[in-house]
Amino acid sequence: MEEEIKTFKDLTREVVERGICGKCGGCVSFCSAGELNALEMGKNEVPRYINEENCLKCGICYLICPQTDTLNVELQEKFGWKPLIGDYQRITSAQTTDKKIREICTDGGVVTSLLLYLLERNLINGAIVSKKIGRFARKAILARTPEELIEAAGSTFSGSLHLEELGGKYTTYTPILSTVKSLEKGYLHDIAVVGTPCQINAIRKMQCLGVIPAHLIKYTIGLFCIENFSFDDVAREMLEKKLDINLEKIVKLNIKDDFIISLTKGVTIHVPLEEVHEVARPACFTCKDFSNEYADISVGGLGSPDGYTTTLIRTKVGTSVYDGALRNGYIQERTFENAEERKIEKTKMLAKIVSFTRRKKMRAEERLSELAGGKDIGGKN
Amino acid sequence: MEEKTRAVLVIGGGIAGIQAALDLGDMGIKVHLVERKPAIGGRMAQLDKTFPTNDCSICILAPKLADCFRQPNITLHTLSEVKNVTGQMGDFSVKLRKYARFVKENECTNCGECATKCPVKVPDEFDMELRKREAIYPYYLQGVPAVMTIDRENCLYLTRGVCRICEKFCTRKAIDFEQKDTDITLHVGAVIVATGFDPFDPSGIPQYGYKRYRNVIMSLEYERLICASGPTGGHLTRPSDKKPAETIAFIQCVGSRDIKNNRYCSSVCCMHATKEAMLAYEHNPKVKSYIFYIDLRAAGKGFQKYVARGEQEYNISYIRSRAAKITEDQKENPIVWYEEPQSSKTKKMTVDLAVLATSLMPRKDVEELAKVLGVELDEYNFFKTNPLSPLDTTRPGIFVCGCCREPTDIPESVAQASGASGRAAETVMR
Repeated sequence: MEEEIKTFKDLTREVVERGICGKCGGCVSFCSAGELNALEMGKNEVPRYINEENCLKCGICYLICPQTDTLNVELQEKFGWKPLIGDYQRITSAQTTDKKIREICTDGGVVTSLLLYLLERNLINGAIVSKKIGRFARKAILARTPEELIEAAGSTFSGSLHLEELGGKYTTYTPILSTVKSLEKGYLHDIAVVGTPCQINAIRKMQCLGVIPAHLIKYTIGLFCIENFSFDDVAREMLEKKLDINLEKIVKLNIKDDFIISLTKGVTIHVPLEEVHEVARPACFTCKDFSNEYADISVGGLGSPDGYTTTLIRTKVGTSVYDGALRNGYIQERTFENAEERKIEKTKMLAKIVSFTRRKKMRAEERLSELAGGKDIGGKN
Repeated sequence: MEEKTRAVLVIGGGIAGIQAALDLGDMGIKVHLVERKPAIGGRMAQLDKTFPTNDCSICILAPKLADCFRQPNITLHTLSEVKNVTGQMGDFSVKLRKYARFVKENECTNCGECATKCPVKVPDEFDMELRKREAIYPYYLQGVPAVMTIDRENCLYLTRGVCRICEKFCTRKAIDFEQKDTDITLHVGAVIVATGFDPFDPSGIPQYGYKRYRNVIMSLEYERLICASGPTGGHLTRPSDKKPAETIAFIQCVGSRDIKNNRYCSSVCCMHATKEAMLAYEHNPKVKSYIFYIDLRAAGKGFQKYVARGEQEYNISYIRSRAAKITEDQKENPIVWYEEPQSSKTKKMTVDLAVLATSLMPRKDVEELAKVLGVELDEYNFFKTNPLSPLDTTRPGIFVCGCCREPTDIPESVAQASGASGRAAETVMR
């Protein structure tokens, strides 16, 4: 009767070795939060055993991986998933009311402002966001103050290991002693996480199981994501040649309808997404989630004019955060001439999201069937 | 036959059930003490201190818990439920379902290593969900029996077939996933019902903003917050910003003496609000408390003096006014709206924390139990009794004591328990 539990060994074989690991760090964050010390992020940020003997074969890392299917149906039911972009209450185009944020943000600064609202209202003790540490390098940090939050605003599209950070933060935050855990002092600490679809997916799977460290996460803000990029020096040289730009001169990267590169001196160039596919992470090609279907609120530039963020308010929790931030003047919505125009714009926004979603899902189907056919997609990264 | 039925079933392991069991045990009568939760102790174990002496609640309860465990005449049935009762006074046959703990009681030393490794986090019921616990856990720190329990609803092995981490860390090999629920039959001559109360859910009175405002809490939550073994280690900090609460409003009769909810007086709230305000002052002499009441009911031994002490020595103001509503300001400070008794004017008071003295109600599933026992309930769903036989239910041989009879404080519950045990003893010794 007892089925064999799938463990990290299976995860290695089914995900890592097939080159579809998204490097979200979910498995490592779980393993390190529990101080099980079996896994770490290894070379190229791919999870691996620190020491295989430490692995208790609990099978939880396998279940929470965004690339495994076991919990998908449960997730869909829990969030009332509907085709094609998941459940949502409202779609809006909004922007921050804070001038300072507007200057540095990617689109409308809605994410930073929502988080600011949560922090200033004591609704969270911190937010996990990624902070730029180099032109193309970002690091996940736990921002506990408005200053730290604003410092991290704006995005480059290079995956940052949010979840692994959470595991680390969690273990340093809550010293796990051998005394009975129920003696653990302090109220619950709540945090918000901003993440890509794969990261939010792993968090939601952890929450389905009720496991650490996702129990700390009260709010999830999901980014629209067609793909993330990851490049080494070789790829970088190739890219520079192809696009005929010096990557050093890039001040901002964004993806809306295409890849938007803002250079110094106010020059902006648009590159079709196909042109940069070669530096996209292989895992992204097997991902079917563009609009971050399980986040409380999903955001992105797609469908909004410059300076605005397209915002999909999905869950009850998401609605309360968005409405709170709106009511208290942290964000404002795009104004329209009349109701008719608003309706048209909203339909357009949705149509774009649906179209990108369709594109991403088709791409994933194709890639997955290639994989099933035994074709190697190459684990370049 | 005589031998077989010289035993008593006590349903409910709170202070009333414990006292009844101890009294009977000491008389040489066999007792089966049944508790649904993983450990005995009941509501009293959740309280920080008790009035009118301000004794530490668990400190005076713990010796009784240990006595129950050691008394050779008492058999503890924790994680158990009475499913059926047949027969008659002097000869009842009781079907008991014993739920699996998945931990071997005689092997577990309660070291807690398993809980430090369990990856699951769920709200802790004992601490009024102010903290999270693991899926393998001690019901509470001083709980008896002092063993861990696996929560079948949340354990990842029992629900999904993965994990088993606790098992790998238990050096005593006390984890046993093979345990099954079992039904046993007991033969007893009498039954004592002592199933206690559930607090009224104050979200039923929306104008007080419970659950809407984070700094509006209910009494039992307050008891856990101010308790040294509670989620804040006894620091009375408010939920929203974790800052110390220095101005506190206690709102009385929340759900009690209320035609829309419970018409009866819950009897203990005037006193426990006084006690709670005293405790806050003892923790921090900067604390100022206001108790908003309809009538101050201090009708117990030493109670009036206790209230007077509160007023004189603990910086408590008693305001004779039923609070109309609670709102909150931008800083999440609760604002209590009330009619000032002298001027009859509407006033408001901004405080750091508002504590709702929630009504004591019969357990939610009391009707089911009454059916199983074949006894009647009164109009409020407390067990029906007669003024001249106040501890007898409507079925001969079944007695009642404590808060399932009517809202009752601890001294009174203990007195009733001794009375009920006397009645039960009379039945089985006959």
